[in-house]
Amino acid sequence: MNLTQELELFPDHTVTQMLFKEVKNAAELRQSAVDGRINGALINPTMLVNPFQVLVAANKAVHLQLIGKMKTRSLNSEIIFNLSPTNNISEAFKRFGTSDGDESVMLVVVHCKNESQLLEDIAAQVDGRQVPVEDDFEKSYSISLEETCGTLLDAVVCRMAIKDVM
Amino acid sequence: MAVQQPDSLTPSATVPQFLRGAELVKQGAEARVYRTQFLGRPTIVKERFSKRYRHVALDEKLTRRRTVQEVRSILRCRRAGIPAPAVYFVDYTSHCIFLEEILRSSTVRDHIASTQQSELEQLAQQVGQILAKMHDEDVIHGDLTTSNMLLRRSPEDRGSDLVLIDFGLSYISALPEDKGVDLYVLEKAFLSTHPHTEALFQKLLKSYSASSKKSSAVLKKLDEVRLRGRKRSMVG
Repeated sequence: MNLTQELELFPDHTVTQMLFKEVKNAAELRQSAVDGRINGALINPTMLVNPFQVLVAANKAVHLQLIGKMKTRSLNSEIIFNLSPTNNISEAFKRFGTSDGDESVMLVVVHCKNESQLLEDIAAQVDGRQVPVEDDFEKSYSISLEETCGTLLDAVVCRMAIKDVM
Repeated sequence: MAVQQPDSLTPSATVPQFLRGAELVKQGAEARVYRTQFLGRPTIVKERFSKRYRHVALDEKLTRRRTVQEVRSILRCRRAGIPAPAVYFVDYTSHCIFLEEILRSSTVRDHIASTQQSELEQLAQQVGQILAKMHDEDVIHGDLTTSNMLLRRSPEDRGSDLVLIDFGLSYISALPEDKGVDLYVLEKAFLSTHPHTEALFQKLLKSYSASSKKSSAVLKKLDEVRLRGRKRSMVG
């Protein structure tokens, strides 16, 4: 169900992605995130092309936190900000963060290796049905992308990685 | 959640530590190139190292600037539709760039070496076109050689496309002189690596000329630079 990847550069850190559909409490979740009561990043999955995108954002967030150069206030908000190709923080939250009324939510948690209990507890806060994270979000979301989907991901990821010096 | 690192590891040591497990592919004057897996993908890591003979603060600034220029040039090319590796992550503390590894490819150098000249016309045309596009974007590659161009086979074998790599000496410039020098560097590298290919290179330049809107000024400068080159008499 969950998609998990250890960050090679930060060996004590693992990123788990959990996808939920038919979510009924998006507004409540968003408020919890704002209040810092939920230990994960709440992302709008319709903006995602591929789980790799999330990994790149999370990797950069952890790196910036380590060197004390995050642009936002927490690791989770930094992950959301990193997903955006622009440097405008509020725009990033609006487009990539969960909004009230969203019916699907991607929950991303950065944690130490075997913390299944933690993940269960966080996932329990979402009132929705968990579904497997596919390698190709296009399948899950019927987003109409042209054949060059692979290139689209690269384009997106490349922008994310370089935006701070453009 | 706070990020923890073993006390002995400073932030700028994270990537070098990781690279100890990676495969060293090339060691140049400016950087080391590694191959590894990163976030589940085959990745190339380019690590620029410090030059001990430089003053520390200057070295840091210079190395950082080069990293930034490289990364900006890559993105500029990609935005214009010129294939170049995607950048996955940049660590400015250790001057490392994590890039997409271009799989199923061979260098143009190897391709030319193993192909009849009569069959290389299309390649010359492609290269001329892609360089014209790049220069029209005001990107100067800085190290144009046939080893820095890859031919990537497409999955369904629908021919191959050209990918430019190694933007380590790249910068942005609109000056025809800089573009002319860029082509001159390629010409020298081309003719010394592949003997008796003058005609082929001419085809490349012709294609460049036909594809670039600003080519005449550039080619004029190329002629001037050729005259300036080594062991040329500036008399008369």
